Amino acid sequence: MRKIHNSFWKLCLGCMGFFILFGMSASNVSAVDLSAVTAVCDPNARPCTAVIGDLTVVMDISPKPVTAMTDLEFQVTLKGRLPDSSPTIDLGMPGMKMGPNRVNLKAAGSGVYTGNGVIVRCPSGKRVWFSKITVPDNGTVEFTFDVVY
Amino acid sequence: MSSIDALCLIFLTSGFTVGFGHCIGMCGPIVVSLSMGLKTKPIFFPLMLYSIGRVVTYSMLGGIMGATGSFTLVAAHIAGIQKGALIFAGLLIVFMGCVMGGWIPMGRIFRDSGATGGIVSAGYRKLTAVKSTAAYFPVGLLLGLLPCGPVYTALIAAAGIGVEAATPFQGVLGGMALMFSFGMGTIPALFIVGKLSGLGWIKARQKIYRIGSVLMVTAGVYFVAKGIFY
Repeated sequence: MRKIHNSFWKLCLGCMGFFILFGMSASNVSAVDLSAVTAVCDPNARPCTAVIGDLTVVMDISPKPVTAMTDLEFQVTLKGRLPDSSPTIDLGMPGMKMGPNRVNLKAAGSGVYTGNGVIVRCPSGKRVWFSKITVPDNGTVEFTFDVVY
Repeated sequence: MSSIDALCLIFLTSGFTVGFGHCIGMCGPIVVSLSMGLKTKPIFFPLMLYSIGRVVTYSMLGGIMGATGSFTLVAAHIAGIQKGALIFAGLLIVFMGCVMGGWIPMGRIFRDSGATGGIVSAGYRKLTAVKSTAAYFPVGLLLGLLPCGPVYTALIAAAGIGVEAATPFQGVLGGMALMFSFGMGTIPALFIVGKLSGLGWIKARQKIYRIGSVLMVTAGVYFVAKGIFY
């Protein structure tokens, strides 16, 4: 019994080591961002806008008000030289790990990309979320905004 | 490696990382209560049963998400149950805090009753020990329903598997596998919290128990209030 107990703790520590190394290697892969812009916005009032390099990124979320635990449609419009592949949106909370929540966007023509996603409700009561838009070959834009619970 | 295998690996890692960040903050009080409630008894099997219960619930929810392919639909249906789970967790923490603080004399009611020798009392003691350890499994099953941001996020991915699956059965299996992986990832962090709060290694245990009891009751009341206003 004691042997199983001790082996389990060793396994826990081994897992910790593995995941730390895994996380470090993963963070090295994502460390090649070309440009990173952050902005605070209110998607309920107007679409969020930011510029990375020569590209203007506009994000809109519907329906409004942007409410947690409901199906949302994300629309990203790129103005400028368009990338070869579609951008992606990663949703999260500042300072709180919520796990990977990615919205895959599909091209809808003329630099417009749309996709569906859900912003979940955090039992802590915090309402501030961010959407990190990754535009291939250009960089990232992070919009921070409030959601309704 | 298939896309489901990759997702399972991602969420196993996610479970591990949020375990050390998010779960310790949010579910830590529950695990601390469960561990401190055991006092000097071994915590390995109770915590293992609690974790298995949680992972079973996560896997079941993953299967349902995979079958329906809709996170928001299922989430709306289980919102009431989750609220109840949050209130139950709070009451459980308050109860264990009161027992540990000696405000509810469980020891006098159970442990010290009857004769100390003989086959019957020895059997009774063994039976109550098994019962109290086994009780951690249903507690884990129920508390797996606690509303939790990272669990929701993993369930969204499980629903995504359901949307992309060729058949509903594949969706169920994929959703279950993903949530099983996520749940397994969260175990080490909560085990370490449970081990550290087991208090078997602290000399001035009685003082810590008293302080811990007050903190547990406070945390429990906070959980109940959260559940009522969630």
